[in-house]
Amino acid sequence: MSGDEDGTRTGLAAFGSAAVTDGWTRERISLLVAIGLVAMAFAPSFQVYLFTEFLIIALFALGFNLLYGYTGLLSFGHGLFFAGGSYGVAIVLRDLGPVIADVVGSGIAPVVTFALAMVIAVMIVVVVAIPVGWLSVRLEEIYFALITLAFGMLGFSFILQNPGGITNGTDGILVLLGSVEIGGMDVRLGDRQLYYFLTLGIVASATYTIWRIVNSPFGAVCKAIRESPDRAAALGIDVTHHRWMTFILSALFVGIAGALMAGLASVASPYHAHWTNSATAVVATVIGGATFFAGPIVGAFIYLYVRWGISRFPALEAHWELFFGALLIAVVLYFKIGAVGGLLLLRERLFGAETSTDGGGETE
Amino acid sequence: MTTVLETEELRKQFGELVAVDGVSLAIDDADITSIIGPNGAGKTTFYNLLTGVLKPTAGTVRLKGDDGLVDVTGAPPHEVAKAGLSRSYQITNIFEGLTVRENVRIARISRDGSRMDFLSRADSDPDMEADVGEILTLTGLTDIAETPCDQLSHGQKRTVEIALALAIDPNVFLMDEPTAGMNPTETTEIVSLIRELNEEIDATFVVTEHDMDVVRDISDRIVVLADGAVLADGTPTEVLNDERVTEAYLGSEGQ
Amino acid sequence: MNFTTLVPLIGIGDIVVGLSLGSRLFLIAVGLSLIFGVLGVLNFAHGALYMLGAYFALAVTTSVVDNFWLAVVIGALAVGVVGALIEVATIRPLYERAEGELDQLIVTFGFVLIIHELVRFIWGSQPYSMDTPALFDFSVTVGASTFSAYRILVIGLAALVMLSLWLFITRTYFGSLVRGTSSDREMASMLGVDVPRLYTGVFFLGSVLAGLGGALSAPLQSTSPALGDQVIIDAFIIVVIGGLGSMTGAFVGAMIIGLLQSIGPQFIAAGHIAIPFLAMVLVLLFRPEGLFGGIGE
Repeated sequence: MSGDEDGTRTGLAAFGSAAVTDGWTRERISLLVAIGLVAMAFAPSFQVYLFTEFLIIALFALGFNLLYGYTGLLSFGHGLFFAGGSYGVAIVLRDLGPVIADVVGSGIAPVVTFALAMVIAVMIVVVVAIPVGWLSVRLEEIYFALITLAFGMLGFSFILQNPGGITNGTDGILVLLGSVEIGGMDVRLGDRQLYYFLTLGIVASATYTIWRIVNSPFGAVCKAIRESPDRAAALGIDVTHHRWMTFILSALFVGIAGALMAGLASVASPYHAHWTNSATAVVATVIGGATFFAGPIVGAFIYLYVRWGISRFPALEAHWELFFGALLIAVVLYFKIGAVGGLLLLRERLFGAETSTDGGGETE
Repeated sequence: MTTVLETEELRKQFGELVAVDGVSLAIDDADITSIIGPNGAGKTTFYNLLTGVLKPTAGTVRLKGDDGLVDVTGAPPHEVAKAGLSRSYQITNIFEGLTVRENVRIARISRDGSRMDFLSRADSDPDMEADVGEILTLTGLTDIAETPCDQLSHGQKRTVEIALALAIDPNVFLMDEPTAGMNPTETTEIVSLIRELNEEIDATFVVTEHDMDVVRDISDRIVVLADGAVLADGTPTEVLNDERVTEAYLGSEGQ
Repeated sequence: MNFTTLVPLIGIGDIVVGLSLGSRLFLIAVGLSLIFGVLGVLNFAHGALYMLGAYFALAVTTSVVDNFWLAVVIGALAVGVVGALIEVATIRPLYERAEGELDQLIVTFGFVLIIHELVRFIWGSQPYSMDTPALFDFSVTVGASTFSAYRILVIGLAALVMLSLWLFITRTYFGSLVRGTSSDREMASMLGVDVPRLYTGVFFLGSVLAGLGGALSAPLQSTSPALGDQVIIDAFIIVVIGGLGSMTGAFVGAMIIGLLQSIGPQFIAAGHIAIPFLAMVLVLLFRPEGLFGGIGE
């Protein structure tokens, strides 16, 4: 869906023929995934909601993993940036919505407002991440986990204390996206299908960007720092500075996820900043496999769908944490490669396919 | 001959203990200098002072720059590396999870300062790939370039260690026990690699080594450290026949 | 604001409440700190173990024997057994791993989820309260303030634990092993100390202390599955401020946080939730070893 459109017509034709003729090519898989993603929009409303939430949590975990799986720093405070995104959107919509409507006229105001809210929200997150990251990367290992936890909870306390009424305390802020009139039809921005496509577009672009980052010279240096920080320094790499830059990038993507969540859940909640929300990214990433690019995506999928699946059985309802706790421990102890590693291993067993360097989606 | 690395009255104290006690040394360009000494003589501390891992209590470290010697005393490790001092570790310290080629490429990325480029592909710069290929050829690692380092033998890992040090194109190589843990064949290979690099690209080496045969074999000059100070300094023949040196070694043997 | 209006607000009752809060927090924090000091493991599940102590004590009084003291002791020891099992089964395999510290943190976080859910499964989500033991079920009045005598008991017990721990670590053979192992594991191992067993012993002891804190606080607070999540954060703050591995630090830190929670809101209505986190950040940045030294100090 993303990069193929700017190719020439021949490129498209080649893609098309590769997708339909040559067996299980990458083109065919991409095409099927694209069709699947579009078809998803016509699933029952709750399923669309769940899938949209999955995409958001996947981006949350992907952003988190830039720092954890790729650079070796475990943050227990990324909820801060998630909340930064969701509150950024909520506050702009609440306080600037009427002003913007005055400027651009009421017709397309909701669209302009939401776009602006997203941009401002991400800017807020970056502005917060710059000092928080600068201070946090001075520490390593457990101490880094603790200081990010403290920063996250500091943000949580700030939201609860509601200075000047800006965060609305424990209730959080209601997010109403409004609607626009297109050709006499009233289109709600918060419409499940429309919001799904919006989220899909943003998450897909963000994922592609993260993929570019981890495969860039910048990403190569991140991996070096993960493997051995003092070796990296002995090669002339300013480890602290590089970690700081990665921290900011990581926060930025998590902020986008938070901003999208505000629109989906119709609320910016203090819970977004709480350490238990930060832990969501940890659980999803570890279960999926932190050393694989797709790990956080698969982990987020398991996280949301297993939770949903368990909730279908009244006897087990609400006991999904037990499952994830056990899974988390099992993965860390016995199966560090996570679900993605497991899938690749399974494919190898079944088809004898090469797994080690295939797909370009792995970090190693 | 020009000096590429110079220390002046370099001193490091940990509480009461004086680990390095006023060492003044000038390392000449294209020399292989071995630093030897009994355990606890202060070699490791001396290395850590040179590379910026530790800050000296007193004294200075200077490295050859574009115009004369540059003071790098107390600079952090990455700045010392940028200033032209490269090191290898006694306990192999490479990027285990990455392939040999990726290892060398990272060193090369660091050297040309493209580490903040986060959108192009890491392997897309042809000049860089050519350089990486050259270093792999020079160190004889081309055949295993795509192997993840955690699957290599000990000797191969030691060679990657040297390739990394080489890839940042330094003025001085600091090698901490390059043959540590190696079998005789591997040792011979590493020794000939060091000599080859010394001859082909006029690389300057400062080497610590336990194996006296290796020391005798490769050194242009030997410096003996004992109790944190320079005990002897000269050609291999001079130093290894020095009675004080024998004494320092024998004296430590009984401990 | 001036002092003449402020001073009368701090009643002795508030201080007693603060110190008793601090005492409970001390019991969990000192165990957390001890485990970190010796094993180098930051036990995320320590709050969950504390909560488990409260539930075990409740379960003993309601269905085994209606004796508060017995319930506290059984509850604490049972938590110790749970802790030791966790250590042997899931943490021990990680000591040798290169990036083991973070893996240990994640594994113990897994137990936060598991214990939280098991507690809900067995006891449900509703909060429980426990009766104050009859012997201490009376009020003490000092000046204008009235408070439960049980709070004084909790403070006394925490002080007693602090003293015994200190004697234990500094005066006994086991204590010297603990100190030796915390400063140099390999050396201790070479000298013939059975390091794995010592680690399990320390994890057991730390868990007993958490369980004791939870059991003793059952009459003072409502016990619900959310308890663990709240208290672990307080414990993290305390051990960071006091110094990871420091017993004195755990004690002083716990009392400061306890007092801040009881009398803080009267002074700084807006800041008392944020201040501990701010303090945690500042200590980590400027004095990561904490305000007090290492173990046994």
